[in-house]
Amino acid sequence: MATIVDETISDFDCYGSLSIASTTITTTTTATTSSSSWNDWSPVFDWDVFSGGDNFQDLIESMVQGSGNCFYKSEHQDCAEFMEEEEESGDSNNNQSEDIDGLKLVHLLMAAAEALTGVNKSRELARVILVRLKELASPNGATNMERLAAYFTEALQALMEGSASGTLHTKHMFSPNYKDEHRQGDVLAAFQLLQDMSPFVKFGHFTANQAIFESVTHDRRVHIVDYDIMEGIQWASLMQALVSRKDGPPTPHLRITALSRSGSGRRSFGTVQETGRRLTAFAASIGQPFSFHHCRLDSDEIFKPTNVKLVRGEALIINCMLHLPHFSYRASDSVASFLSGSKTLNPRLVTLVEEELRPIGDEEGFVGRFMDTLHHYSALYDSLEAGFPLQSRARALVERVFLGPRITGSLARMYRARGEEERCSWGEWLSGVGFCESNISFANHCQAKLLLGLFNDGYRMEEIGTNKLVLGWKSRRLLSASIWTTMDIDL
Amino acid sequence: MFHAKKPSTMNSHDRPMCVQGDSGLVLTTDPKPRLRWTVELHERFVDAVTQLGGPDKATPKTIMRVMGVKGLTLYHLKSHLQKFRLGKQPHKEFNDHSVKDGDRATSLELQRNSASSSGMIGRNMNEMQMEVQRRLHEQLEVQRHLQLRIEAQGKYMQTILEKACQTLGGEENMSLPTRTFKGIGNHQGGLTPDISAAFKEFGTPPLTFSSFQDLNICGEHIDLHAQSSMGERSSSFDGFMNLSNTSTDHNLSLGKKRSSPYNTSNGKSPFMWSDDFRLHELGGGGSCLGSNNEDDHQIIQMERSCNPEIDSVSDMYESKPLLQDEKKFDTKPERPSPRRAAQVSSLSAQGGRNSVFG
Repeated sequence: MATIVDETISDFDCYGSLSIASTTITTTTTATTSSSSWNDWSPVFDWDVFSGGDNFQDLIESMVQGSGNCFYKSEHQDCAEFMEEEEESGDSNNNQSEDIDGLKLVHLLMAAAEALTGVNKSRELARVILVRLKELASPNGATNMERLAAYFTEALQALMEGSASGTLHTKHMFSPNYKDEHRQGDVLAAFQLLQDMSPFVKFGHFTANQAIFESVTHDRRVHIVDYDIMEGIQWASLMQALVSRKDGPPTPHLRITALSRSGSGRRSFGTVQETGRRLTAFAASIGQPFSFHHCRLDSDEIFKPTNVKLVRGEALIINCMLHLPHFSYRASDSVASFLSGSKTLNPRLVTLVEEELRPIGDEEGFVGRFMDTLHHYSALYDSLEAGFPLQSRARALVERVFLGPRITGSLARMYRARGEEERCSWGEWLSGVGFCESNISFANHCQAKLLLGLFNDGYRMEEIGTNKLVLGWKSRRLLSASIWTTMDIDL
Repeated sequence: MFHAKKPSTMNSHDRPMCVQGDSGLVLTTDPKPRLRWTVELHERFVDAVTQLGGPDKATPKTIMRVMGVKGLTLYHLKSHLQKFRLGKQPHKEFNDHSVKDGDRATSLELQRNSASSSGMIGRNMNEMQMEVQRRLHEQLEVQRHLQLRIEAQGKYMQTILEKACQTLGGEENMSLPTRTFKGIGNHQGGLTPDISAAFKEFGTPPLTFSSFQDLNICGEHIDLHAQSSMGERSSSFDGFMNLSNTSTDHNLSLGKKRSSPYNTSNGKSPFMWSDDFRLHELGGGGSCLGSNNEDDHQIIQMERSCNPEIDSVSDMYESKPLLQDEKKFDTKPERPSPRRAAQVSSLSAQGGRNSVFG
């Protein structure tokens, strides 16, 4: 019994040479001879339905007609058709099996998303598809697509369970707290790996820092309000730059105010206070006059500008790092309050780093955004692999610790928000609120290009408008850094 | 109105149309003396503007301050700045889309501005040459600064990892050579097999993730000994720091035996600045890496000293072998200009796609 099951499983899996005709025959025989074993194998799905001989003619008809509409005729028939279609797609030659497997996974994911939220929702179908996906994809899989599919499957599963119980346990499941489950060692190691294997973190930090550095050439006091300081590594290189600047007044006094949130921070990087201590020690070690403050946010995470202490004569900079790969997502209310609150403080410069997503119209709905997110993360995965094809375990670690949770969180947000208006990028928001663009200098652009030159060829740098640099992988834009200011140029 | 401020510059005519003031300013001798924006003056102007961060950031006041030219007033600067800014605008369309910048006056723009402002068109070639030189110089500067900044980040990263290792590993004063991750491995929050596997993929722990600290780019030597007292502290770095302390340790042979070139097939190692470059194994790489048990650690060490081939398989940060006489890590290599030139040329040779020349 077991061997038969194995055989049939492998038939489904390798999709070697099954043609439609033979599919019919094969499945009929296997289905009829081992239907009971099938049910043992996959109790979720009622395989007995599948074995009925009558349905196959219809199935083949619908396959031949081949439109997606017939996909949702009836629940069981859907599943059967779906399995048929699955087999058929594996028809082509074995040489491209890896591509096909990847493609298959994509189709399955799309089908699952569609089943979950599409016009003809079908939870049963979605469940079946997810089961299948879980068999095919594992987080430790060999190919990028497989691992990516595993995380997306997990995320979809969570969505399904969440919606089934009536309430989406959003705060709990998808909040930054989720990351605390990872051990501290893991997170640190993954962070180091992330920094060394990809340019994202450095790109965001260095571009912002260069813009800040250039804007404070003649200032004696600099005050930076940092939205999400995390471990504080961004400021190490700024301090270094300030300490070693040749022209202008001597090293300015640097003051950093970091927003701290109640509730858990990223335990692995410690609290904001720890970051402050670390920065203070570092500044002392290189001779940078420095002071650190933090500004507590309430549980609603809304920023109140009055909580920030200002000093006369200082150059105020607002620093807003949002979607670096190791960051947690912040609620958009919080970000909006921060940015609009900042405007009232009249800063000299606002540096913004956010992920660059393709704006999706409403008509595409959840599925469209889902596919876009899939594309986004697959570019991310590819970029890591291209640079370090042999270091699969390192990449798997980064994926597990940072990217997986982000995928889950991202999908949850999309799911919750479907039907609501698509949020524009924060950059657009800033210019809508009244910030002006500020030029990216030649030096900054040059630095970014040099930085990319250290990594794989596939990374691309684009300049959009005058104030934004976008880092992308091949044709996919991933992360953007933009510079804004409140003051108009006075003549 | 401004002419009233410059009575002293109304000298007798040396040239038919213009006079040279004692401040160096050239004025016309029309009934209303106007300032002539000569090429030199304009250059100083452009310099000042660049220094201040571009025509949009610079204000007449600050320009005046920076230029420090006597007799130049705000009004002169206001109007000239405005023309300059406008003069730049149409040029943005001509530029490559990847090469937009407020600061950088292309030779064409300079030509335009000087032609319209001063009427002297004949100096274009010179300007172009100077422009190219200026650009080159700036790029070198950027490169140097980038290296320093990456190093700074690496240093900071080390402090984070130190702290973490301390927290994780507790205080144990074992002898340095045998220091391993044992303590950490036992700890609840310590390294998982995942991590050690992940880092093993990168080969030599000392080199891994030490970022630019280990790369004495431009001869800047980050003194790891001074920077961290890790030699005494019981962190897991000790085993690796040891590498830098002893010069006869067999661990050093890691560098010498490594004979395979960079794995260019894998895509570039991110820390390869130039082929000439030596990776100095200063050991104390910034990470709690390696295995989480003693045996593995020693095995890895031994493996490497005996088996040079292993390095080529999984190493990411490989380099040409250290010269035999470069055993000591305390020496500060000089910063020879040929090396710098080699870096630049290799950097630009590394591919047109990210060519620093746009």
